[in-house]
Amino acid sequence: MAAKLVQLTINDKEYDIAVQANETLVDVLRYRLGLTGTKKGCGQGDCGSCTVIMDGNTVNSCLVLAVQANGSRITTIEGLESEEGLHPVQKAFIEHGAIQCGFCSSGMILSAKNLLDKNPKPTEGEIRSALSGNLCRCTGYQKIVEAVQSIAK
Amino acid sequence: MGNFEVINSRASRIDSPAKATGSALYVDDIKMPGMLYGAMLQSPVAHARIKSIDVSAAARLPGVKAVVTAKEAGLVKFGVSPARYDETLFCHDKVRHHGDNVAAVAAVDLETAMHALSLIQVDYEELPVLITIEEATAEGAPLVHDGYPRNICAEIHQEFGNVKEAFKECDLIKTTTFVNKRQDAAFIEPQGCIAHFDIFGNLTLYSSTQSVHYVQRTVAMVLGLPIGKVRVVKPYVGAGFGPKAAANHLEPAACLLSMKTGKPVKMNFEREQVFMHSRGRHQFFHKFTTGVKKDGTIMGLDHECYLNGGAYTSFGIGTVYYAGSLLGGPYKLRNMKYDGYRVYTNLPACGAQRGHGGVAARAGWEQQLDMIAEELGMDPFDLRQKNMLVAGDVTCNGLKISSFGMPECLEAVRSGSDWKSKKGKLPRGKGIGMACGFFESGAGYPSYPSDTYHDTVLVKLAEDGGSALVLSASAEIGQGSDTALAMIVAEGLGIPLEMVRVQSGDTDFGVDLGAHSSRQTLMTGHAAKEAAEDARRQVIEVLSEELKTSAQDMDIKNGVVKFKMEKPDFTPLRTRYIKEHRGWLDNPATDDELSFREASRIAFLSRGTIVGKGKYKPPVPGGSSKGATVGTSPAYGCSAQVVELSVDEETGKITIEQMTDAHDCGLAINRTSVEAQMQGSFSMGLGEALFEEVKFDSKGRLINGDLAEYKIPSCLDMPKIKSIIVESNEPNGPYGAKEVGEGAIMPTIPAILNAVYDAVGVRIYELPMTPERICTAIKEYKEKRIDAEYEDQSKRNRAGSSIRLYD
Amino acid sequence: MLLPKFDFDEPATVSEACEILAEFGAKAKVIAGGTDLTVNMKKKLLSPERLVSIARVPELQRVDASSTMLKLGPCVTIANIAESGEIGKRWGAICAGAKALGSPLVRNRATVGGNLGSARPAGDMPPSLMAYGARVVLTKKSGQRVVFLDNFFRGPGLTEIAPEEIMTEIQVDAPPPHAGAGYINLGLRSSCDCNIVNVASYLVLEGPGGPIKEARIVMGCVGPTQRRAVSAEKALIGKKPCEALFTRAGEAAMTDSTPIDDFRGSAAYKKEMVKVLTRRTLAAAFEEALKS
Ligand SMILES: Cc1cc2nc3c(=O)[nH]c(=O)nc-3n(C[C@H](O)[C@H](O)[C@H](O)COP(=O)(O)OP(=O)(O)OC[C@H]3O[C@@H](n4cnc5c(N)ncnc54)[C@H](O)[C@@H]3O)c2cc1C
Ligand code: FES
Ligand code: FES
Repeated sequence: MAAKLVQLTINDKEYDIAVQANETLVDVLRYRLGLTGTKKGCGQGDCGSCTVIMDGNTVNSCLVLAVQANGSRITTIEGLESEEGLHPVQKAFIEHGAIQCGFCSSGMILSAKNLLDKNPKPTEGEIRSALSGNLCRCTGYQKIVEAVQSIAK
Repeated sequence: MGNFEVINSRASRIDSPAKATGSALYVDDIKMPGMLYGAMLQSPVAHARIKSIDVSAAARLPGVKAVVTAKEAGLVKFGVSPARYDETLFCHDKVRHHGDNVAAVAAVDLETAMHALSLIQVDYEELPVLITIEEATAEGAPLVHDGYPRNICAEIHQEFGNVKEAFKECDLIKTTTFVNKRQDAAFIEPQGCIAHFDIFGNLTLYSSTQSVHYVQRTVAMVLGLPIGKVRVVKPYVGAGFGPKAAANHLEPAACLLSMKTGKPVKMNFEREQVFMHSRGRHQFFHKFTTGVKKDGTIMGLDHECYLNGGAYTSFGIGTVYYAGSLLGGPYKLRNMKYDGYRVYTNLPACGAQRGHGGVAARAGWEQQLDMIAEELGMDPFDLRQKNMLVAGDVTCNGLKISSFGMPECLEAVRSGSDWKSKKGKLPRGKGIGMACGFFESGAGYPSYPSDTYHDTVLVKLAEDGGSALVLSASAEIGQGSDTALAMIVAEGLGIPLEMVRVQSGDTDFGVDLGAHSSRQTLMTGHAAKEAAEDARRQVIEVLSEELKTSAQDMDIKNGVVKFKMEKPDFTPLRTRYIKEHRGWLDNPATDDELSFREASRIAFLSRGTIVGKGKYKPPVPGGSSKGATVGTSPAYGCSAQVVELSVDEETGKITIEQMTDAHDCGLAINRTSVEAQMQGSFSMGLGEALFEEVKFDSKGRLINGDLAEYKIPSCLDMPKIKSIIVESNEPNGPYGAKEVGEGAIMPTIPAILNAVYDAVGVRIYELPMTPERICTAIKEYKEKRIDAEYEDQSKRNRAGSSIRLYD
Repeated sequence: MLLPKFDFDEPATVSEACEILAEFGAKAKVIAGGTDLTVNMKKKLLSPERLVSIARVPELQRVDASSTMLKLGPCVTIANIAESGEIGKRWGAICAGAKALGSPLVRNRATVGGNLGSARPAGDMPPSLMAYGARVVLTKKSGQRVVFLDNFFRGPGLTEIAPEEIMTEIQVDAPPPHAGAGYINLGLRSSCDCNIVNVASYLVLEGPGGPIKEARIVMGCVGPTQRRAVSAEKALIGKKPCEALFTRAGEAAMTDSTPIDDFRGSAAYKKEMVKVLTRRTLAAAFEEALKS
């Protein structure tokens, strides 16, 4: 079971990294690359705290084998900030009080960003639906939905 | 209400930028040099005698650094309340529930640790498994713990007034029952910790906890360490909702492994282990008998409750008391009798969860009040208004109500939901319901008997004058306490929020009982206010000496020193300040007002580091009966909610459509955070009402220990919520503030129950309201209606007319 | 939760994949999106020695909707199916199944082939596909065979796919004129939920308004595999569609179902829901048939 060399482009930076076949993407991000903004609340696809954007789509990184991600472009929460500062979704979450414990926030923000990238003017229903794989136990989702609505234009 | 500079606003939370960017470190994000990975061996069966444990193969596995069992850990008993210390770090004679802790290993990586666990041989002799209260209390049932006959872990009998006599004066006496299901707190971050026992013999434990103080005490006691050698630090925490308010077994286990190996040891619960450790909401079986007069006056309540406690006591003594005492409000209840029983079974131990002890009681009783209102021909709002406590009242069980915005809450949700035009007027299948809530604002006593201060806070002014640092052992777990403390300190010092930094969640900073019983804003808030005012006083004293101006004539507001009388000449102070900061670009201009920064620098130059100290201990609460101390609090929050929903009568599926919520939090330190607590509470209540139930098979093994089969609400299950803040200005709270975090959940379940009745005419006495349960109830209801109509018809002998169900 | 150790291959073509499977047989397992397999492996329910990833084999990702047939590559993601206008226009119930599956995150990885391959009795894709009469193409090094979905499932987690075979295509005929279908799933939550009962119905009418020429009703969660509601279908043939007929068909479907009591619900309730969902999906199918 030799390690495999994979190439990942994470937040616009290229990584060549040797991984074991049984390593999941979330573990490689968190424990090998120190990108701990991606969280792990369940390890089996149920909570969405491990959400990353992979080749333009949100995925549960706890269900993706790192070897299966070879060659992919990945955006994690650490990749949203730019020279202009925080991403508008991050700002909106902060301003609207959409973050409590914050454990769901990385995934939630990435799901919201991905939605807005694809559909800049989502309805409330579309927002709720796009965030429905990201569980949050703290907020009741109201302020999260309001935050996304505030920049959906 | 006062004119505030910082508090009562919608300031952004101070921790949200770190959380929004992923830079906030939670415990599993931390890595230490040489760190080992620990894992816990847990019982695969619910009740068994341990005949032998053989760890030799595990210990021999390359990469394994330590294996510990009860032999190494000792048998010091611990728990939450010293009256029921009934747990040991590892089981030695028997295991009492699926997931009970048997051994732990530390290894170079998690894979090796997990492999080592599989090599530990435990020989179990299985014992009969007690799952239900009936099984556990049956004559001759085996005992979960010796010394507790019929497995009664705690038993409470209280009577305030005389219920029997009161019932003689009643026109209507109603008895109903209610049962909820075991709920899991389902915080998204599982418990985890890193222990580091260093070469100096100091132990530092980083843990995902709601109370560094209680964890510190437990770890020191269990491992026999001097408390001064144990430091507990809380990094960012992915919420707790109750179960994280006491030590879990990972914490002492990781410490022990670190002591054995001299290396930092990380341990995490997997999601299933979160369910097996449990300590969330109990299952309660309630029976309520309430007597009222024709005019709606509630005369008395006779209340009996059984709690399925699981294998250990945990917070359970408090829980069984709260289940009774929290019905003391929000209504004037002149007579109340309570008989509560907490029963040991072979399920994971239950404990405390948002709305500790009171949620199911509130749900069942508020539903009964709705029934009573209907039978009396009263609007449910009117029945409640008629009986409402007012500020100044003392309840029959001794709870002193010092502020009470209940009338405002009722009015807010009544008009906010347009109740009048909807109640009784919605088409079948659609319903509207309301209920009220009541909760304490911090427990009157710590969980161990002590005269300790509940909270201490230090406010240290930076020596350069530019900022204030708040040091506290309180626990920001997502509820926003760091922000609330920062705002209180900024207000108390008279400086902008940006000048305040908070360091919290560290036992090195003092004593704080932590985040539970909806206490931090009021209790830690008091200490923070006192500390800020103490620091401010010291600065003003120095100014007074330097400027020869009376302290009374000076104030600090928004970072600027205000002189109430004639402005003294502070040029010499400014000159001194500027001289020290030659070359700096942000020095004050000549005609600027005297800034806090200059003043606090001058104070340092005169007195050394300025540290303000604050502390808080609630006033000794009243009540003389046994257990009357549980539920006593410096203040009580109250709330009202209206829920609108629809029911698919064929499938039984409920859709919550709209929710209007009003909560009296005394004064909102941060308005956004108050709404956030209300909304989060509602979602937890909605989950318990509709979906949530931890399930076990007939052998007591957990069935649905994941977030797929244990269903908490998703974004699509939540309705739009209208949140209305009511402020009654609590005299016992800092700046008038009291609780919102737990009390806000109280009305949710009963409001849903009452709306379901309004929609389809069925009363539900058992949660959760799954489609199946609703569907069955509707069917029974229809059958009853058919029988009733049939009888009715044959009586009147109106042959030929068809039976019509609803129109 | 850690995954057990395994070897990993990522063949570029179907024939390469077939070669590997021919060599390793039952020791290897195909992985597509991995949303089912990795969870089972983390729970230590499965521990294959080798995973053969086919998720990125281009020939398995095609969607080809011609006038007569829909050909779906098994590695088309559920999200792509849910959003596909051309599938939605003629095979709406397939999209409805896709939209009901898991969460947006899961749908972005999960594949239709994986959904069939996982053979969950509660799966969201099988009922509609079966109702449309879908077939799957199973390929191995030495040849190919076509299997009707009706004969594909063997039990929970068990299918007709042999260890050395790969599902390489899913074929669905285009519905004739005056045909329609409906799919409804019932769960507790509105997202990410395992169904309590799910039903798909498909109707072909003689002409506008009826009578019914062909009917297929497929029920999930009420047996070890998806079931056709045979007596309900029989009750429909030759009849003029109306609400009362659909109600009778629903009642007949109850007798076709064999649910068990489990922690998700009682058998009695599931049967009752078969009745309701059958009636409702038939009504939806009829409505669509009237329009087509
Ligand atoms: C959180 C969560 C929620 C879910 N919710 C739902 C739900 O609501 N409804 C539902 O139906 N499912 C649900 N699932 C299950 C799963 O996502 C789906 O079944 C999905 O379609 C599986 O596709 P996959 O590509 O991920 O399969 P994989 O996991 O890759 O494979 C599944 C099985 O199929 C086999 N296989 C896959 N492709 C082929 C092929 N081409 N040839 C031969 N064999 C093959 C594999 O060997 C494996 O045995 C959920 C899963 C998760 C994690
Ligand atoms: S950790 Fe990946 S979904 Fe929960
Ligand atoms: S903010 Fe805590 S889980 Fe969402």
